[in-house]
Amino acid sequence: MSDLEYPADLRYTADHEWVRTNGDGAVRVGITAYAQDALGDVVYVSLPSVGDALTAGDSCGEVESTKSVSDLYAPLDGEVTAVNEALDATPELVNSDPYGEGWMYELKLADPAAVDALQDRDTYTASLG
Amino acid sequence: MVRVLSQEVDGLPRRLYADGGALASRDMTLLTSPLHDRHVALGAKLADFGGWQMPIEYPGGGVLREHTAVRERVGIFDVSHLGKALVRGPGAADFVNACFTNDLRKVAPPKAQYTMCCDEATGGVVDDLIQYVHSDDEVFLVPNAANTAEVVRRLKAVAPQGIEITDQHQDYAIIAVQGPKSFEVVEALGLPTDLEYMSFTTATWQGREVIVLRSGYTGEKGFELVPKWDDAPALWDALVEAMEPYDGLPCGLGARDTLRTEMGYPLHGNDLSMDITPNMARAGWAVGWKKDAFWGKDALEKQKAAKDYRLTWGLLATGRGIPRAHNEVKDADGKVIGEVTSGTMSPTLKKGIALALLDRTVGEGDEVVVDVRGRELPMTVVKPPFVQTETA
Repeated sequence: MSDLEYPADLRYTADHEWVRTNGDGAVRVGITAYAQDALGDVVYVSLPSVGDALTAGDSCGEVESTKSVSDLYAPLDGEVTAVNEALDATPELVNSDPYGEGWMYELKLADPAAVDALQDRDTYTASLG
Repeated sequence: MVRVLSQEVDGLPRRLYADGGALASRDMTLLTSPLHDRHVALGAKLADFGGWQMPIEYPGGGVLREHTAVRERVGIFDVSHLGKALVRGPGAADFVNACFTNDLRKVAPPKAQYTMCCDEATGGVVDDLIQYVHSDDEVFLVPNAANTAEVVRRLKAVAPQGIEITDQHQDYAIIAVQGPKSFEVVEALGLPTDLEYMSFTTATWQGREVIVLRSGYTGEKGFELVPKWDDAPALWDALVEAMEPYDGLPCGLGARDTLRTEMGYPLHGNDLSMDITPNMARAGWAVGWKKDAFWGKDALEKQKAAKDYRLTWGLLATGRGIPRAHNEVKDADGKVIGEVTSGTMSPTLKKGIALALLDRTVGEGDEVVVDVRGRELPMTVVKPPFVQTETA
């Protein structure tokens, strides 16, 4: 796993998702380098809709590779304010740039402080073994 | 991410090693190919295929790049998990011919043939396999990994005195060389390539015996090489080197599955099974209806005459989404008219494709809807293959 990167400024979940604080009470969400590597070539991403109210742990989308289907889970409570529409035509961005152009959606958090309860990089990478 | 909802390759559910370092660890309960060390050294993702731990894909490749390498250039696959069994003795070919569906007398040895082992009572498919007809007294069988023991058991149960059936699963390896450049790669090893489709010959490579068969499961031109188990690593290494000038790739069983699905080739366990007969799967071309006997003949003739069964069709997505095995197929009114047996994203077409069993009211060109976990995916009924290739 040493060749996969995990930026220090992100928070992580046990479901292999990352959360980046935008500074305005909203966060951007995606899947980690580990997740995209484990799934293989991502060929289809189904995202929640703008305006959806999500509760942490809700299944809110799906990521598919040629032969696997995985659920996306809401990392925190909040309302969806944006989705990455580029993934419709170019789902491979999830593999090539998981923390950048491969982002998935943005959430306006019910409680902006809740981000702090998620795993920091060291905790997450330690969980990968 | 990422809890895996469903994952299957070659029809067998596979466990995603999502618990970190376990990905690299070796499950000691699974059998491994003689090329296992090569796969581990390449960093392949491994999964369980019928009790065998085999590569799904390789780093630097991935299913999409490996798929494209085979369609445009060349790729090699380790398919040593496939079963091998030898039927030998006076009249061995006649014996096999009286058991399996295809008419072995249509081919002159040495030639291989696709055939099916059906259940006598139901006509359901125990396995589909390749039979290499060496002579009247010797037939070499290549069944699917998970079904080998059952096929061997059924043959042994009825074999007459003098016919010997030997399970040779771990006596031979099988390496498939597939793609437009497969001839160049096999020639580079000094192996014979002047073979008709489904013909084979026993050749010698660096003093080792290798069976060379013109065959494959990808739709491309290609070969299946059958070396002795212990000779496989040296042969693999030579093939890796020989395909370098052509930008060839080692390919995992993930790409093998997308390649065969694009061709509409059935996979046992998905598109052929104890519940999906050759009639339903349109595999009647591999049934010797005029033979005196084969397992399941009466049941299959009865079913064929009754014309009351679903038929296999191809489905091509007109919307975004990927159909999966067991998804329901519905008509415009929402009535269930069938079920997907295999589904994936076609790397060539970049669209969802499926094989599905559909009611007889459905025909080519019909628009249907596939229920993909609650989402409606519009698809068109088509005749496979989904892509045009040059097999022969």
